[in-house]
Amino acid sequence: MAPAAEGSGSDPVINYLVRRLLALVPVALGVATLTFAIIHLVPGDPVVAMLGETAAPADIVGMRHQLGLDRPLLEQYAAYLGGLAVGDLGESISYRKPVSRLIAERFPATIELAAAGMLVAVLLAFPLGIIAGSNPGGAGDLGAMGFAIVGISIPHIYLGPLLMILFSLDLRWLPLTGRGGLEHLVLPAVTLGTALAAILARMLRQSLIRVRESDYMRTALSKGLSARSALVRHGLKNALTSVVTIIGLQMGALLSGTLITEIIFSWPGIGRLLISAIGARDYPVVEGCVLTFAMTYVIVNMATDFVYAIVDPRVRIS
Amino acid sequence: MNVRVRNPSLAIGVTTVAAVVVAAILGPLLFRADPLSIDLANTLAGPSRAHPFGCDALGRDVLARVLSGARLSLSISTVVVAISLVVGSLIGATAALSGGRIDNLVMRGVDIVLAFPGILLAIALAAILGPGLIDLAIALTAMGWTGYARIVRGEVLTLRERDYVLAAESLGASRSRLLMRHLIPGVVGPLAVQATFGIGGIIGAEAALSFLGLGALPPTPSWGNMLDAGRAFLLVAPHLTTAPGLAIGLSILGFNLLGDGIAQKVGHRA
Amino acid sequence: MECERLASILLLSRQSRITRNAVLTVWISEWTARLRFVAQIAPALVALAGCGQYRTDRSPGTIQVDIETSPTSTDPRFATDATSSRINELIFDSLVKTDRNGQFVGHLADRVEHPSPTEIVFHLKHGVRFSDGRELTARDVIFTYNSILAPESMSPKRAGIEQLKSIDAPDDYTVVMTTAHPYAPALEMATEGIVPAGTSLPSKENAAAPIGSGPFQMVGYARDEAARLERNPYYPYPSGAPRSILFKIVPDPTVRALELAEGVCDFSGNNIEYDVLPWLGSHRFLEVSRTPGTTYKYLSFNFRDARLRDLRVRRAIAYAIDRKTIVNTILRGTGRVATGMLSPENWAYEANGTTYSFDPTKARQLLDQAGYTAGSNGMRGLRFEYKTTPEGARLGEVFQAMLQRVGIELTIRTLDFATYYADIQAGSFDLTSLQWVGINDPNSYYMVFDSQKTPPHGQNRGYYSNPEMDRLVEAGMSTVDPKWRKKIYGQVQQLAAEELPYVSLWWVDNVAVMNRRLVGFDAYPNGSFRSLATVTLSGPGGGGQWQ
Repeated sequence: MAPAAEGSGSDPVINYLVRRLLALVPVALGVATLTFAIIHLVPGDPVVAMLGETAAPADIVGMRHQLGLDRPLLEQYAAYLGGLAVGDLGESISYRKPVSRLIAERFPATIELAAAGMLVAVLLAFPLGIIAGSNPGGAGDLGAMGFAIVGISIPHIYLGPLLMILFSLDLRWLPLTGRGGLEHLVLPAVTLGTALAAILARMLRQSLIRVRESDYMRTALSKGLSARSALVRHGLKNALTSVVTIIGLQMGALLSGTLITEIIFSWPGIGRLLISAIGARDYPVVEGCVLTFAMTYVIVNMATDFVYAIVDPRVRIS
Repeated sequence: MNVRVRNPSLAIGVTTVAAVVVAAILGPLLFRADPLSIDLANTLAGPSRAHPFGCDALGRDVLARVLSGARLSLSISTVVVAISLVVGSLIGATAALSGGRIDNLVMRGVDIVLAFPGILLAIALAAILGPGLIDLAIALTAMGWTGYARIVRGEVLTLRERDYVLAAESLGASRSRLLMRHLIPGVVGPLAVQATFGIGGIIGAEAALSFLGLGALPPTPSWGNMLDAGRAFLLVAPHLTTAPGLAIGLSILGFNLLGDGIAQKVGHRA
Repeated sequence: MECERLASILLLSRQSRITRNAVLTVWISEWTARLRFVAQIAPALVALAGCGQYRTDRSPGTIQVDIETSPTSTDPRFATDATSSRINELIFDSLVKTDRNGQFVGHLADRVEHPSPTEIVFHLKHGVRFSDGRELTARDVIFTYNSILAPESMSPKRAGIEQLKSIDAPDDYTVVMTTAHPYAPALEMATEGIVPAGTSLPSKENAAAPIGSGPFQMVGYARDEAARLERNPYYPYPSGAPRSILFKIVPDPTVRALELAEGVCDFSGNNIEYDVLPWLGSHRFLEVSRTPGTTYKYLSFNFRDARLRDLRVRRAIAYAIDRKTIVNTILRGTGRVATGMLSPENWAYEANGTTYSFDPTKARQLLDQAGYTAGSNGMRGLRFEYKTTPEGARLGEVFQAMLQRVGIELTIRTLDFATYYADIQAGSFDLTSLQWVGINDPNSYYMVFDSQKTPPHGQNRGYYSNPEMDRLVEAGMSTVDPKWRKKIYGQVQQLAAEELPYVSLWWVDNVAVMNRRLVGFDAYPNGSFRSLATVTLSGPGGGGQWQ
């Protein structure tokens, strides 16, 4: 609790948070508009997708009318925004359920996957980055950066099946697909997190090298601190800021990665909901899913900015 | 260890990139198999003397296609990364320097693009733009500039707060000169990393877009569409993906080391 | 144990990021001191796996079947997609069903009478029970049909039974259908799955899946995950047969193959890449069966393009495509070169018709005659756009290469399915290749070749128009006598082969890959899963079982 004398209204942190939260509104509006425009403008018809080619033309017309798809696009857009304003994402055309409920059912699975992927990325990146950065040009550096290159070169769509062949088919350690206990999470998380791990590891290495060559590191060394502990104390703290930035920056890529990872591992998350909704041109579901992805991304970035401000006192919250 | 090359990353990076580029230019002239001729009797054939990397799902020589695809993949990815880098950096720097509303507007725009699922954008662009390399470059740049913008903006903002910059500014030093002197060393490292990884990302994105009919039209090979076409045969013919995968890995390695080298060189000057 | 350390860090992920970062930093600096990460990460992951003690929840008597997409509806009154139909066949019974050769045989009806050309009488079996124990009577049949016909249902199946003038139940075990005009394929209207009277429409609040009188009932369904079927307790149970079936939705074809190879999945029907079949066949405990199928793959022309209205151009294209080689290589032999939409198993199949064997010389001659002479590079200034989905791009490239040899240029546009389908329906294509699944009654010719049946009224997407064809397919529809119908459709098939609104490519074989613990699977030409209800399970089965 902030001391009463300061007053929460003038608390810069609260102010900052309020302003950032308000900034969500234009982003949400932009994403919603872009999604609406794209999904309505590309060819394809949700009613045909749902009723199939055997449906009578009159039924197709009737259903379009019932769903309001025969109204002018601007009118539909206004209705959509009106719904959004009161938190109504509309109703799925093919599932005949409220979009918010569909998303609520699937979102935990995607968050679980994304968080685990992030964790794997961090768990892999720190050791690799430190090994590489503490002795650049050495054998550890070569090995770690070799891993990074491989990690970034292999698309999810290959890494997933390769891990499945190795750890499930051959070694029988882990199950192939589905969502369940921790053992179901390992392979999808590694698939999702490896590319980010590679990027983070390289970033860490860069930061450590920069720190190694900096003046204060030389000072620290001259004071008789052991090289390694000095590097860990100064270097990691310094590198953490870039790591946090990169995590925020890569959040979009990570969330996009969940789409493919969910398909490969039959993971029942929001990514598969989105993919099938795009295929069925289920407009409200596409709009709802994209908005959810976007808001997740923006909120994670707000959080990283906040963390950034904490780990790097030079950046003022303003 | 006594003697060290001053900048090994740069040396190895330049060599690797040069090797890949030379292979792209000279390869098709030296290895004369036709990358386009279909031979259904040889579908998914493994490596042999006539086909060192085997044949693809339509019996075409994989090596010939990798060599021929190199030109397209390398040029598209470098061009797109270069444009994205310039455009993104300019936008990022402008946003940071202008501050206030413009900064806000730009960063929300960045958020929207970064937060938007690529697949939907790809489907839309494929439907709106259609096939062709210029359309492909437009699509990839539209998705790729944001990372650079954020890096540059972040660096400029941090820099503006630093004491020595504030001090120099108060002494009447030109702002842009200051920025150039202090910004470049700080920003080149992250930019180089972003760009060199970006090249790999572009090759992958090119595969995804060609999957949806944007980009190189069949039968023209690119590393991306080869990788994509080999996906269904991972269990029975991994050689379809090994060759383009190695080519992509090697290029990324080269560009990465090059990026490191540049970062190191520029960093030293500061 | 490293296992516990990792697990405790995993738990931290639920707490704030800041705390987690702090803890991670401490953890990492400890580890850095040891500098043994590379060696330790892998075993740590393995240890983590070891913590889990993974077991399948596969209870005895359960089989797992991998399917590629989620069924769109669990209500037979609404489901039109292939996946739903295959699953619903195991749950719901209809008045009549088709046998292996596509002939209608009694199902709920044990006797069918045709008192007049516009009237069919079905005598229902006694003692058929829904999975809740209620007896199925004519009332349920009437209810099912009326709820499809009700305008507010918006059922996609309504169009299929719109020839129905009335449906009545004189008593509990008799159903009478009448049509306004003599309608030859009337029995196709009697294949709708019957639900109990009073079953609500798929409501917004998503009521439980409807029940049926077939061998199974659906006990659980989560979209994009799985559907679980269990035995209908009121349906005779053949001993040794599966007690429950888990339909698991696995979208990636490579992963489906892996699940078979690992022994997790017991059965897959028509959803494995042909090239992967030999690899699967090399597993001792897997059996790969190929049986002739009725799925018909064709190349469609757009007749609104003047160049393609020229029969010589269409014929040249038919001669230029080496279908036999494609079947033997790309399809790995899992198909038969087709002569028309109806396969030889169909009662109306006509064997005598024009065929087009691979003959590039003839193709070039025809193009010369049509006035498209070859330039110096061999090309004839004929350029067509071939639209396809990503999955069809490979075949498109084969056509592209084959047509190039006779001087025709094909540009390939790959589009996501929904865009592709919209373009095809709108007639925005020159050439495309699609397939017909489940062709049974030759009346299908009416929907695809009658000049009135262009989208959205039917599936004549190429805008083919020939008065002779119209006359024949319309006569075939209103002629009830099978002998006459056979004659009429013989002429239809000959005309189609002569005129080439489609180039017939091949009939795709049905491919089933199954674990050898499934014994006695009976493959239907239409790819039905029906006999999954009657296979027997022997032993625990091969493959790796999780222990």
